Amino acid sequence: MFQHAGGSISGAEPANTLPRGGGALRLHQVSKSYGGILAVDDVSIALARGEFVTLLGPSGSGKTTLLMMIAGFVTPTNGEILLDDRNVTTEPPENRNLGMVFQGYALFPHMTVAGNVAFPLEVRKMPKSEIDSRVRQVLEQVQLGSLGSRYPRQLSGGQQQRVALARALVFMPDLLLLDEPLSALDRKLRADVQLELKALHRRLGLTFIYVTHDQEEALSMSDRVVVLRNGRIVQQGTPSELYERPRTRFVADFLGKSNFVPGLVESIRPNGFSYRWGQTTLFQTGKMAKPGSRVLLALRPEKIEIVTADRRLPNQLTATVVNWTYTGAAFHLLVNTRDENQISLTVPTWRQSTCPEVGEEITIGWDSNAAVSVDED
Amino acid sequence: MIELPTSRSFQVTTFWAWIGLLFLFLPLIVIVPVSFTPNRWLSLPGTDWSLQHYADLIGDETWRRSALDSAIIAFAATFAATTLGTIGAIGCWRVSSGLSDAARALMLVPIVIPSIVDALGFYQALVQFRLTDTYFGVIIAHTMKGIPYVVISVSAALANFDLRLEQAARGLGANMMLAVRRIVLPAIWPGIMAGAFFAFITSWDDLVINLFIAGRRVSTLPRRIWNSIQDNIDPAVASVATLLMLVTLCGILVYLMLERHNAALDQKEAG
Amino acid sequence: MSADRQGTRSYWALIVPPLAVMALCYFYPLGKFLSLSLTVPRFGFDNFGRLLTSPAIWHILATTGRICIITTALALIVGYLIAYVMMHVSAQYRTWMLFIVLLSFWLSVLIRAFAWLTLLQSHGILNTALMGVGFIKDPLPLTRNEFGVIVGMVHYLIPYAVLPIYANMQGIDRRLVPAARGLGATSSVAFLRVFVPLTVPGIIAAALLVFIFSLGFFITPALLGGGKTVMIAEYISIQILTVLNWGNAAALATMLLATVFLILAAVSRFANLSEIYGIKQ
Repeated sequence: MFQHAGGSISGAEPANTLPRGGGALRLHQVSKSYGGILAVDDVSIALARGEFVTLLGPSGSGKTTLLMMIAGFVTPTNGEILLDDRNVTTEPPENRNLGMVFQGYALFPHMTVAGNVAFPLEVRKMPKSEIDSRVRQVLEQVQLGSLGSRYPRQLSGGQQQRVALARALVFMPDLLLLDEPLSALDRKLRADVQLELKALHRRLGLTFIYVTHDQEEALSMSDRVVVLRNGRIVQQGTPSELYERPRTRFVADFLGKSNFVPGLVESIRPNGFSYRWGQTTLFQTGKMAKPGSRVLLALRPEKIEIVTADRRLPNQLTATVVNWTYTGAAFHLLVNTRDENQISLTVPTWRQSTCPEVGEEITIGWDSNAAVSVDED
Repeated sequence: MIELPTSRSFQVTTFWAWIGLLFLFLPLIVIVPVSFTPNRWLSLPGTDWSLQHYADLIGDETWRRSALDSAIIAFAATFAATTLGTIGAIGCWRVSSGLSDAARALMLVPIVIPSIVDALGFYQALVQFRLTDTYFGVIIAHTMKGIPYVVISVSAALANFDLRLEQAARGLGANMMLAVRRIVLPAIWPGIMAGAFFAFITSWDDLVINLFIAGRRVSTLPRRIWNSIQDNIDPAVASVATLLMLVTLCGILVYLMLERHNAALDQKEAG
Repeated sequence: MSADRQGTRSYWALIVPPLAVMALCYFYPLGKFLSLSLTVPRFGFDNFGRLLTSPAIWHILATTGRICIITTALALIVGYLIAYVMMHVSAQYRTWMLFIVLLSFWLSVLIRAFAWLTLLQSHGILNTALMGVGFIKDPLPLTRNEFGVIVGMVHYLIPYAVLPIYANMQGIDRRLVPAARGLGATSSVAFLRVFVPLTVPGIIAAALLVFIFSLGFFITPALLGGGKTVMIAEYISIQILTVLNWGNAAALATMLLATVFLILAAVSRFANLSEIYGIKQ
């Protein structure tokens, strides 16, 4: 959409029409309870100016409630919200000067595209001539210049989304809040729009707060991801931190796919430990563990290889192929170990052009720093 | 998700809305104590509450007969209107052409026509066939007035019914009658019941048509009430009104409970 | 698919019976009655001519029109208010409000008119109370005039206004007003510029319903108008019951029907009627 049917929102444009700079947001021990049920539980976050932060979590994790509290539609039961050091906890939404893109866009159906985009400027009592020129400029930038007099129902999903963005940005907000803005688009479009949003963020330098349950979106666009579950922050960090070093089983399972290997620690090694999994002894680098204690290792499928005769890896075992799927770039195998444990591994096709047969016995292996020790939730 | 407004202006608005609802509610409530007045004229009971008017009511045979007449006519008219209205609505829904839309519009006309005009039309037609002041004549008239309500209600239910279910049934070998009877009807049953309910009320409450086409032999409850008001307003009318309100109240409570029950069922299914 | 067309055709067997019955039992009587306007007492347009030049008739029509317009306006205002608040309060309050609306809606018009008569007549509850307390010496004339009729009619028609407006409000995207607030609008600006325009179809539906019903009102004006304030429906019945002038009555009825259908036709020019009333295709 952005590239094919009429351009992108990240093209070059005059410097003084879209907002620059952004707000610094701080949430301090914010909670929200609905009659005894805690939707958000003691959340504290500090966002720097210009960051792209994603609130990621399954439904019911409190991420949307948190966004609504930042926007001002929901009042926290406890805690404070500070915008650029100004306490806005009880301020109504219209005083916070935040741009918001709702899930489903919430475009005013009885106003034209231009009317929608002009609305925040009219509310701020800008002179009409200035409004007209601003609206025209912003619509040009999102490549909707010729559609100003159309009504939302006449536009495609992707076009509606651009209108929603234009409307949220036209009045130079301090922050941009996005509530699952891509959920209504199809896969291909979603991928394109992700790139465009990221480019828009880089260009504008605004703080973006993005809410989603889709971990792919979170990983691809964010500077920082905050993972929420049952109203609490489980872990936050850069996408690669969260992906490579998840702290709990939930985070390892929620972002990408993971195998989980429970083990009994046997002995301490120079830079790690060894542990026993069924009949196999495995080696793991990383933090020390007490012999005799239980550990849980998260092991990503792409970190496991099919071991050929000339290779030797610290962790190896034989397994039987149960099932496999081909997705063009990789094979995804499901194998059974001798202890009847199932492991899934992903092998790129450039490495292995044909797949082992079902029932075939293969050797799989991984490096001693491939797995990560995680907490059981 | 977004919180309900609690601002000052909304509280003022809510206050005025409740005033409006009070306006709706109070006059109806006034009737109840009036029915217990010890006096022979319409008045509030003050300190002495008496059941005298209720006793009069139960003892008076003409009131009982009026209630019976109303009931007989209403049930018969409801049955006829529901049958005709339902099959008409189903037919129009399935055919779904400009012509069938016009047919449906025709079936809705009686709602728009004021009762007085209908009443006079019925009157001289019934005179022609010598059916004035007969149960049959009144039932026919009430049926006609009830059909539009059934058509509206059943059409609304059909709008939410997946056409492909009927097509699937036909594809599996069912002819039209079978498909309608076993697939469509069970699904739209609530809509049919709602329409039947409105048709019943239309017949039960009708006064204007009865004024012209009925007289001495057939005397429904509203007719009796009307006569009573015209002669001298006997508080017995207040008693009748109170009893009728009680019945309506029960009806609404049942309706609201059913709605809650259905909503809970839907939630259980979805969740 | 031709098979589907065949299947569709057989469904006309369901449409024809009700239409046939209605043709015989409804449209024929109606048509016959209305035709009396052109045949009684003489063939021709005499009746219409006479009526349209009669000052008494114009008085009745003016009274009817005036009362119906005032009633519609008042019912719409109160109905909109109630529907709006119902939309925005908690589920518990909403159930109670709906209960009161439905109770009014399902109660017989006769009982409601009777209730107002009880309240407002010269020795009714209200006057007795006011005189008892000493506020007034003589009873206030609240019935047997336009005031009583309008009160009774508005009371009856408010639920008819609430229900279409409420149904329409339920269909409005609940994020639109918050979106407007988030864009900087105060709650009143958001209400006026975003919410109200979207409720216009509901208002039209309600206004149409209320006005058309009010034109044909008989019972309420008859009881509360006391013979002093006469609307067209009651006048038609007087033509029949006391003067036995079928020609006049039929002519007046024709004029009434023509008005109703003209209004319907005019509105359907601008709005899709079946959409407004939720009769989906």
